[in-house]
This record gives sequence, structure tokens and C-alpha cells, in this order.
Amino acid sequence: MAGLTHDPEKKTRARVAIVAAGVVSPLGAGLDATRDALREGRDCISPVTRFSVAECRCKTAGQVDDAWLAGVAPNDRKSRRLHRAARMLIVALRELLAQSPGFRPELTIIGTTSGGMSFGENYYRALLREKHPPRELAAWIANYPPQKPIVDALEACCLASPCQVIANACATGTNALGHAFNCIRTGRCERILAGGYDALSELVFVGFDSLQAATPEKCRPFDRDRTGLVLGEGAALFALENFEAAETRGAKILGEIIGYGISTDNHHLTQPNPSGIGPRQAMEGALRSAGLAPNDIDYVNAHGTATPFNDAAEGRAIADLLGCVPVSSTKAMMGHSLGAAGAIEAAITLLALRDRFLPANLNFRAADDDLDLDIVADQPRPAECARVALSNSFGFGGTNASIVLAAAA
Amino acid sequence: MSVRLAGLGWVTPLGGTLDGVWAKLCAGETAAAQSLGDSLGTNECLGFLVPPSAIAEAPRHPRLRRASAISRYAVAAGLAALLDAGVELNAESAARTALVFAISNGGVIYTKRFYHEIVQNGAQAASPLLFPETVFNAPASHLAAILGITGATYTLVGDGAVGILALRMAEDLMSDPELDRCLVVGAEELDALVCDAYRRWRLIRARPPLEPFANPPRGALLSEGAGAILLARDGKIALEQIHPGGIFLRRNQLVRQLEKIVACLTTNEKPDLHVASANGTFIDAAEWEIATKFFPDAAIYAPKAALGESIAASGIWQTIFAALALRETTLPPPSLGSGLTNGERALVTSCGMNQQVAALMLRRYSRVA
Repeated sequence: MAGLTHDPEKKTRARVAIVAAGVVSPLGAGLDATRDALREGRDCISPVTRFSVAECRCKTAGQVDDAWLAGVAPNDRKSRRLHRAARMLIVALRELLAQSPGFRPELTIIGTTSGGMSFGENYYRALLREKHPPRELAAWIANYPPQKPIVDALEACCLASPCQVIANACATGTNALGHAFNCIRTGRCERILAGGYDALSELVFVGFDSLQAATPEKCRPFDRDRTGLVLGEGAALFALENFEAAETRGAKILGEIIGYGISTDNHHLTQPNPSGIGPRQAMEGALRSAGLAPNDIDYVNAHGTATPFNDAAEGRAIADLLGCVPVSSTKAMMGHSLGAAGAIEAAITLLALRDRFLPANLNFRAADDDLDLDIVADQPRPAECARVALSNSFGFGGTNASIVLAAAA
Repeated sequence: MSVRLAGLGWVTPLGGTLDGVWAKLCAGETAAAQSLGDSLGTNECLGFLVPPSAIAEAPRHPRLRRASAISRYAVAAGLAALLDAGVELNAESAARTALVFAISNGGVIYTKRFYHEIVQNGAQAASPLLFPETVFNAPASHLAAILGITGATYTLVGDGAVGILALRMAEDLMSDPELDRCLVVGAEELDALVCDAYRRWRLIRARPPLEPFANPPRGALLSEGAGAILLARDGKIALEQIHPGGIFLRRNQLVRQLEKIVACLTTNEKPDLHVASANGTFIDAAEWEIATKFFPDAAIYAPKAALGESIAASGIWQTIFAALALRETTLPPPSLGSGLTNGERALVTSCGMNQQVAALMLRRYSRVA
């Protein structure tokens, strides 16, 4: 591991501890199940079952097993109306609270791209097709907005806090963590619940299919013959706390967020500038914020969607800025969960640092001649000395976000 | 940290210029409701639409060629706020500018069109041109591209409180000394689908007028448009305090949540003006109770009577309204309570219809900081 670069200014800012985390994704429900799937390099992509994909090019996705979401709420009228995304958030939040039962956030910052979209789809289909729309119509509408799943999850776990719901497309999970990091670092807050969620929906699935960004083949991030992404779903939440306060109350510290960078690439609504300037600025910002030099980074959990455009721009930016650092995209294993992706991948990065391994970049067959990258191909790697890692998320609209995580001391 | 309101801009059903809309409000004008069509076989809905003349002067830009109305409103309002502040962004100053965008229903017109094709004609009919415009942050992306903003851009989603929550987030961002300013924009576009949804939720009424504080409440009327506020380090109107907001799980909990928030904001000084989010729904009684309990001497004004309920844009409109009232030391009719002579403080409360609530306090300074 390269030595950390000392930044005197950093001393004046608060450190941000991760005191608990919860995750549910196609890899599993819970941090341990996720780690096991990562260690095995398990391919969790399967044929889509939630809606018809008969007319789509792509027919697979990473899907959260319904069995993991069963029983998260009592079988009463209100609970039956919970959106699937709310159930995912409840699973993640319960895991988090089991680690830190007394955690009471002052603020919740959550990322999503589509909220309770499938309820909106139910409503619209019912309007078009039913002469007498069903009674559930009003409930679908009330539970469709993006803030509703997180408010429901907070209520289910007897918590209440103001909610900021960020919708920065696929970067949003990382934006939520990054903004929470900044709020604690600057002393504006002491404890924040932050993360991201998204559940698969027909509209979004067909949207990516129509753009031909989704692939009918295997998802092969950074591979020479990559043909696109597969979608996924899930949720991940983090209990972030002022480090000193957490230490004082004797909280177990899982790791730290130590840097955050954000940039906006104005090249195109859906395509990054091929130069990689957007990702590079976000990563540079994260390093600057962490007070680190490029060679301090031990691992990069890449956005790595496996679209030709993203991986070219991101790969170029990583190679130019960070040089020969191990890189993997875990999306080949679990799909691209959009608003949840940044948060789930931050959890994966945390696990990698905690348990000293680098997750695999599945389905990697041949290196792209234009990208000089050290890809963690197909099998996870042991990483006894990994202490600091960077996690990238980039999205439509040109939003780019990077966070730097550090292992617990 | 002192954050000031340096520039204001709005695109509303009453027009698209700051002074023009203010003059109409002062003359007691209210927007005229229009039919939103009946394409879904639902009951006819009425709402307040932005007249084409309100954005006629907006610049043409390649990014807006395929963009929906919401992006056009946002760009027009954002540019107007910069103009009002006398700020012309170049590459250097744009790099020191952040953008926070508040949205609730988002690009509903294209979203409906996109999904309609899927339902009626199958996935093969889905348009790859429409899909990107359905993404919540598409309007923010267009605005950032037009202004050349390359740093922090956030889109915040939520209910009617999201405009104030966006201002709070902007204030968070302004704690970074490397940032000179932050443009906060709230925008919505209106479609019959949105009206149908709120009607089934029993929150809107069929026809005007929108009557804030009526007892019993008779329902809101929806509207569209955008509001933009440029936050900077100097200016005559300060964002004195902004609360991070709260959530209420049931409607009868709103008043208690609002009380907590308002108590925080009014501990030291009472407002001279309360700009309420009252919209003819359950919100009105909660705001009325708080106002009469905490600051009975303050003037109360509910701009939604004239401009309609525009969800994400409304909180920004309310704040612009409060800033203009402090700047001009006058209040349009019909305000309740006293006038605003020498008024220095304005409280803006913003209660959403889906569990979020937020508030802020503005203060007028006689000298620029």
C-alpha cells in the first residue's frame, strides 16, 4: 500500500465514520451474504420475471429474490401497499439497526432514479384498460413518489427524519453518500442515514433496451467485446456519524468515507465526453477532498456498465489519473441497479477493505487495446494490504461522482 | 456563513418576468384556468398553464430541441435569475457555481408518451429519443449544459416541500468556500395525467377559484412553471435560517411537525410576513393554526390563490414572493392581517401533500453585506 499523503487542512474538518450498513441486492440480503457471493464470484443475473420482456433485445437482469423481502412487514392493509422498493429498504435498514440499534439520524439522504415506478405503471395501465379502475388506484398514486419508499422504511423501523431524495440518475447513490459525507465533515450534521435504492420497472427496462444500452449477451465490463449493460435492483444504507462522536460513544466503526468528488459533463444527455474529462474531474475532486495522491488508491470499484461509451471514458480516466491500480466492475455479477448502484458498490468496496479481497470483474475475456487497466478478471484477488479504495458512479445528464473509502483502523 | 438571495426569476401562469408577474399580483390578478384535455377518458381537468409568451424571449439552444416544457421553463427562469443578479457566467465563474434542481412529477408529458407507446404498441415501439427526457435530472442537465456548469449539479425530488429542501441543500453546498454561488431551480409541467392522479387522491377541485384557508377546504388547482433563485455571498435579502425539514406520517401529524419547525425558526424573532403554502387542502388548517398561535400579528399571504399549486416550483415561487415583498415593502391583495411597512422578516412554510414539510426565514438588510 502506498503511504497516505498528509493534508494539514484536513485536520480542521470532521472525520466521517461508517458505523453500520445494510444491503440487499441480487447478490444476497445482508453484508455477509453479499461478501460470500463476491468471494465466489457468483453470477446473479437471471431471466426477467417481473414483467414481460418478450419484445426486448435484453431479457435478463439482476433481481432481488422475493423470498428475502417476504415478512418484512405485517400482513395488514398498509403493509400490503408497500412498494417493493420500500421492502428492500426495510431489509437494509433492519440490518443496519441490528448493528447500531441506537442510531437516530438527523437527516436521511437517499438516491433513487425511479422511486415507486411500477405503481405508476399499474396506475397508467389501469386507466387505459379498465372501464372501472380498481380501488388500489389511489394507493398506487400515493405510494408512487420517490420519497415514499424511504419514508415507509423509516416508519417501519420507528425512525423519523427529514429526507433529501437525490435523483442524479445512475450517480445518485454515490451522490447521496458524498453529500452526507460533506454535511458531517463541515459540522452541519452529526448523524446521517444515507444510501440508495431502485427496483426494476418495465418503463426503465424498456428505456435502456430502446437505447440499445442493454445487452442481450453477458455483461462484460471493460472487455474488448463488451456490448452493454444488464439492469439490476436493490438497496443499500449507511449509518454515517461524526468520527469523534462515534468513538466517544464506543460505536464499532466499519470504515470511513474520506473523500468525495462531483462533476458535471455537458457533452451529451446520455453519453460521456469520450476524453473521460467528467469521470476524471470527479475522481480528482475525491482525491483532493481526501487529501490523497493518486498512488494512495489501492483499488477502484468502477462504474463499469459495460457500455462501449462508459467504459472507454471511465477506463481512460482511471488509467490517466491513477495508473496501474486494480479495477473491477461488480455489475457483471449483479447488474446495474441505477439509483442503488453507488450505495451497493460502496458497501461492496467496504467489504473488500474489511475482508481484504478485491471483487472480480466477471465475464472478462479480452483486454480492450485502448485501455491500459489492471482488471481483476473473473476471480476475486486477495488484498491483504488494501486500505483505501475509490468507488465511481456516473449517470445520464453527465453527473459523475466518486467517493473514497478507508478501512477501519 | 451568510447566504443571500442575489437573483430571482420565475416563469408562471401569470407571465415570465419578475416585475410583470409582481405587478399582476399587486393588481389582484389570478391566473386563468384552462382545460388540460381528456385524452385518458377521465373527467375533464382544469389547471393553470404557462402562456407561450412567458418563454418567448428564452434563448434557443441545441439542448432544448427535443426537451420537454419543464426544461424550457427551468432554463428561462434560471437565466432570468442570473440576469436579475447581474451575473454572466464564464468558464471560470461557472466552475464556482452549483446547481440544485427541485422536481416532483418531472417530465411527465414525455414519460406518459413513452410509456403509452409501450402499453399500446409494445416494447418495440418505445422511443429512444423520448426515454432520456423522462429521467428526473434531464432538465437540470440541460440547464447545466446551457450555463456551462461543470461542478456540483443535484436534482432533488419530493413533494411540495422540495423547493425549500433544495434551498437547504444549496445552503449546505455553500458551506464550501470554493463555491461563489448556487442556482436553485424548481420546475414542473402540467398534464391531464397529473390532474387525474391528484383528483383520485381527492386533493384537487374541478374548477376555480383556489381558495386558501377556506373552511372546509375545497381542493387545490394545479399549475406549471419554474422559479429560480441565485444564492450568493451578498445581496440585500438574506436566507437567515432554513430548517432541514421534517416528515409527517399521517395528515393529522402535520400541525405538530410544522409547529416544531416553525418554533425553531421563530425563537428569537417573529416574522412580519408569513408566505404560506395553503392550497385549499388539509395543509391550510395546519398553517392557519401555527400562524395564529406563534405570530398572530404577522401578515399572511398564500400565493397559490393566484398562481396555483405547482408542487416543486411552488416553494421557490413562495420564496421569491417573500423576497419581493420584503424588497418592495408591500403586499399584493388579498393578504390577511397587517401590511408590511418596515417589515424585515418573512417566514416561508412549505407543506407537501405527500409527507414532507419545510420552512425558511428571510431577512431584509438595508445595506448590501
